[in-house]
Amino acid sequence: MTLLRLEGLGKQFGEIWALRDLHFTVAEGEIVGLVGPNGAGKTTLFNLISGRLKPTTGRILFGDQEITGGEPHKVCHLGIGRTFQSSRPFARLTTLKNVLVGRVFGKTFRFRARREDLEAAREILDVVGLLHKADTPAGSLTPSEQRRLDLARALATRPRLLLLDEVAAGFSPVAVKQAVGLVRRVQERGVTLFIIDHFLNLSLRVSDRLLALDHGEKAAEGAPPEVMRNREVIRAYLGLRHEGDH
Amino acid sequence: MGEDLWKRAFPGPERGVPLLVLLGLLFLPLLARSSDYVLSIFTHALILATLALAWNILGASGSISLGHAAFFGVGAYGSALLSADFAISPWLTIPLGGLVAAALAAVMGLICRRLRGAYFALATLAFVEIPKVITDNWDGLTRGSLGLVGLPGLPAFHLGPWHVNIARSMSASYYLVLVYTLVVVFLVALVWESNLGLALHAVREEETAARAAGVHMDRYRLFSLLLSAFVTGVSGAVYVHLTRYTAPGLAYSLHFSAVPVIFALCGGRFTVLGPALAALLLYPVDQFIFNPLLPAGHEFLYGLVLVLAVLFLPGGFWGALRRSP
Repeated sequence: MTLLRLEGLGKQFGEIWALRDLHFTVAEGEIVGLVGPNGAGKTTLFNLISGRLKPTTGRILFGDQEITGGEPHKVCHLGIGRTFQSSRPFARLTTLKNVLVGRVFGKTFRFRARREDLEAAREILDVVGLLHKADTPAGSLTPSEQRRLDLARALATRPRLLLLDEVAAGFSPVAVKQAVGLVRRVQERGVTLFIIDHFLNLSLRVSDRLLALDHGEKAAEGAPPEVMRNREVIRAYLGLRHEGDH
Repeated sequence: MGEDLWKRAFPGPERGVPLLVLLGLLFLPLLARSSDYVLSIFTHALILATLALAWNILGASGSISLGHAAFFGVGAYGSALLSADFAISPWLTIPLGGLVAAALAAVMGLICRRLRGAYFALATLAFVEIPKVITDNWDGLTRGSLGLVGLPGLPAFHLGPWHVNIARSMSASYYLVLVYTLVVVFLVALVWESNLGLALHAVREEETAARAAGVHMDRYRLFSLLLSAFVTGVSGAVYVHLTRYTAPGLAYSLHFSAVPVIFALCGGRFTVLGPALAALLLYPVDQFIFNPLLPAGHEFLYGLVLVLAVLFLPGGFWGALRRSP
């Protein structure tokens, strides 16, 4: 079943098309990797889906609802969570309260946090391995902990689709291995994942499919090995040297 | 639950400070040397404390207002005119004054919806001029720049066996304002520790992330502005029925815009009590020590303390004693 459908999606900044005429679908339960060099339009695509930017052309359908240009909080309430390329913690709030924000506002609002909300937030902190930091201000976590906190906060909104923007960038090999386990655990909770992964250290291991972008246009899509052998993708990442025409 | 709230609000050994301050305030009129002059200073300090507390309801969302005198002024004028011209009891017109202030805030909030940071602050600073100029010039309604004198005071009432006459007794006025201040403290603490406060803190810390996590930002920012303006308007109304006169230059004075900001920043804008504690410390110090020494420029104290706080204690002095919110 199709969970996310992009129809002719485009975004223009001034004269430049950051994303142009993109058609793509994500099926429920899939893990899709979004790859491409710097400036390919990966984060722009996430910003369009999550409502942070309004598209210039095209439509976005989530399930059977059109969400094109919806406000971020409404898109979240419908079931799309996201993390950010550079993590955005609520620095003065404790780690637990960071997650509680997602839990309390992700779906419906209640005036006071109930015990079950706190327990749910703790359970999610446990999933990402931050339970021991529950009472630490989020601003004093390490960068890799803050990335996991971003993920925890997004998970707490109970999304059906999770957009992960560079969760594993700059991670050591050991940390990447842990991130792979984490992504698998998230998938087991019934969440569909769309993962931006510039350095390919995560998506090649977990993705069912890849979507490769270059200069705002689709360069390739398909199974990871296929996409990585694709001439356009190789050219986008490595240039044309081996073809000898530069 | 109340005890739970208290412990969550004060996790550390500084827990005793607010209790000591409260005890001191409760027994102030009974101390042998407490003249009417001393009581009037502390009454004013408590009014300013409520302004700083109210200002910080909006401050919690990260918005800095430099124009809260607008809400103080329309609250004062609203209540004063309703009670004087329509002979409605001040007990009723005081909350109505708060509603007038909230209505003005709704207009301002819709106009300034897209503004942030310094732009929002400057817009609020300019916004004060609108109600002030209207009050100054609409002679038929407001008596214009002559101001209002001989306004109705708060009527006497019976409290159990006691006959309380606020208009005649300085200590009765003082206790009334103290009770009002405690109500405001309780209200702010309730907002702060509720999910509403959580939304405001999240928006302040990281607007984009808060919205992506489902926080309907415009709604909570507007609500905090309305509540903040309502309390500020009520304070203006209480104040006007205690002093029983007002004028545009007094009610919309820069003093009532600036002082809440200074107290909140010095006391700790990320705390519930910091702004109130700063008001109760700084205003009496200013009045008892600096005013006699330097009648013309005593308010330099506020500037000095503000600069010191911003440079050395960015979380305010009460914030420095506390852990994270």
